[in-house]
Amino acid sequence: MNKLWTVTLQTYWHQVKSWSFLLLILGPFFIIGCSALGGAIGASSDSDSQIAVISSNEQVRQNFIKNNGKYVDAKIKTAESAKKAVKKEKIDGYLVFETQKNQVKAVYHGASPIDDELKPKVKSYLQKMQSQLNLQQAQLAPYQLKALQQQPQYSEILQKNHQGDKLVKMVSLIIVIMVVYMVLMSYSSITAQEIASEKGTKIMEIIFSSTTAAKYFLGKILGIFGVIFTQLIIYIVGGWATYRWALHAKITASFMHNNQVVINKILGNLLNVNLIFLILGVIIYTILAAFSGALVAKPEDSSKAAQGTTMLSLIAFFLSFALITNPEQILPQVLSYVPFFSSFMMPIRIINGHVGNVEVILSLAILIVSIIGLTIYISKIYQGVILQTEDTSFWQRLKRGLAYSKA
Amino acid sequence: MLKVEHLSKKFDTFPALQDVNFTIHPGEIMGLIGQNGAGKTTTFHSILNFLHYEGKITWEQQPITEKTFDTIGYLPEERSLLPKMTIEQQIVYLAKLKNHPAKEIKPQIDDWLKRFDVQGKKSDKIKTLSKGNQQKVQLICTLIHQPKLIILDEPFSGLDPVNADLLKNAVLDAKKNNAAIIFSSHDMSNVEEICDSLIMLKKGQVVLSGTVDAVRDSFGKTEIYCKTTKSLAELQQLPHVKKVEKKAHGQYLLRIDDENSGPEVFDALTNGEYVEEFRQQPPTLDEIFRMEAGEQHE
Repeated sequence: MNKLWTVTLQTYWHQVKSWSFLLLILGPFFIIGCSALGGAIGASSDSDSQIAVISSNEQVRQNFIKNNGKYVDAKIKTAESAKKAVKKEKIDGYLVFETQKNQVKAVYHGASPIDDELKPKVKSYLQKMQSQLNLQQAQLAPYQLKALQQQPQYSEILQKNHQGDKLVKMVSLIIVIMVVYMVLMSYSSITAQEIASEKGTKIMEIIFSSTTAAKYFLGKILGIFGVIFTQLIIYIVGGWATYRWALHAKITASFMHNNQVVINKILGNLLNVNLIFLILGVIIYTILAAFSGALVAKPEDSSKAAQGTTMLSLIAFFLSFALITNPEQILPQVLSYVPFFSSFMMPIRIINGHVGNVEVILSLAILIVSIIGLTIYISKIYQGVILQTEDTSFWQRLKRGLAYSKA
Repeated sequence: MLKVEHLSKKFDTFPALQDVNFTIHPGEIMGLIGQNGAGKTTTFHSILNFLHYEGKITWEQQPITEKTFDTIGYLPEERSLLPKMTIEQQIVYLAKLKNHPAKEIKPQIDDWLKRFDVQGKKSDKIKTLSKGNQQKVQLICTLIHQPKLIILDEPFSGLDPVNADLLKNAVLDAKKNNAAIIFSSHDMSNVEEICDSLIMLKKGQVVLSGTVDAVRDSFGKTEIYCKTTKSLAELQQLPHVKKVEKKAHGQYLLRIDDENSGPEVFDALTNGEYVEEFRQQPPTLDEIFRMEAGEQHE
């Protein structure tokens, strides 16, 4: 057991202390940080683009500023000073409110069109002013006034499978497929290179004169699983912290508030049994990648080591995108039980809600048994494969490796 | 005690080893000699269970298992360490794989580095060391856990005479600690100097085995080294002399047809007069190696 943990810890620290792991961990946080920064800069530049409001009726002007203060530079009160400010590019333009023959008018003067967000607010304000003016002019009795002030009512009663749920599903599916693909691609490459770099080296002879190849292989795999779990824990804790921050941060709070239900549903789709499929998918691809790494001709070929695994994951990735809209066809149904594909296909079926617990458990059981079987089998032939030094073809190396347990 | 019985190994149809038998006792050094491809490394790999083989290999009457590995020190033919580790990390990592904890090994490292005259600090990375120093670190990794069975595949290759002496001393120290040691070598002088016994493989078969003296004596004391004022032609006329070779510094090598004829040759050569050198001996291991390898021995 000591030897197993010695190999596990050595592999774990070798990976965790590397720059590539740090970049792998920090990458998503860096992207989120950049997006947030970009949003903040965008928001601050938006708040800079203000206009002036001019009106002969100070009450009209003040009412508009009261409701739309963030768009208005309230210090500018005259058309002359507004013109100068536009010329000096201190403001984007100025809005002139006028009332002529019981009609309210607003004219915008500027180098570029009025802000898209502000335009409906101006129109709404004009509409309100005009209504008030019309009511004054009509000299209505109170009951008539009351009748006219009656507002229509709008409400939404949504079906279970309405469009919003479809959006949630689609976003969840894309995230699941992308996350599974990206994580297993990263670790397939890391694992294959880690193993391939030792291929045929004499250090392996020294190690195999100290412990069994099976124990060494298992130690390597456990070390890499440790790295994967470290990354997942950092992402879950970091993701939770980011989520909490986004709920309260000025630049994201309104977005989070408006989309809270959708976001929670997406998170719910990710942090359930799909997470187990993701982890097991990464594990089985990692084991296959380790075997691919052991099959290279020499350590110098370590960069090519993950090619076989990468090809398989690419096929699974593209198939899952192709079948994302029809997960209940026969092909995705079958693939949702086939190891190497089930980690993509079963989550798609789960998110679409067309699969029962028994089917999910059966798929998980097949995946777990495959992982155990593959680990045991590769452990047995690992020594024969890793100690090969002949520069033969891939198929010869594979044949000799597979024959090792029987020799 | 390491016992190898009826060891055979085939690679496809090629017989790499055929019915190899030998035993190494504690405190014994055995030299494994043979040409390239004779089966030396395959023998080591069989002992270490790197290969499936036919026959029986036991250590202390038990099959070799992972538990036995803890008592084995193995130095492979080519040198290879983990370049990104420091000297200390490398030594501790390999010692831990032999079930020796870091707290036991770490305090010994400085002494071992000094003993092998390694140029560098234990915090230096392996990749920064010269090839010779990496070789020494690898040797330390092989010996630091005080193994009881030491397997060294071409340990002297690439070593200068000073470092070869350091290695010889380390091997002799291990022998004093009752370790059973087997090493392969192309340099017969090293085998002759420190081995108690030897085994020679040729095309996977044992062609010579026994103690160094016994092996040499089995070829008969048919060589006479002498210094004399006689000419080459006169020496060739001596009784029982088959062949004469002139060596450096006035020395001659006489090959005789019968080791019992030494006194007769001595009398004929000296005629009762003083000669500076007259030494009758069996062939050297180097000569035996050449003879066996070239199938010249009758």
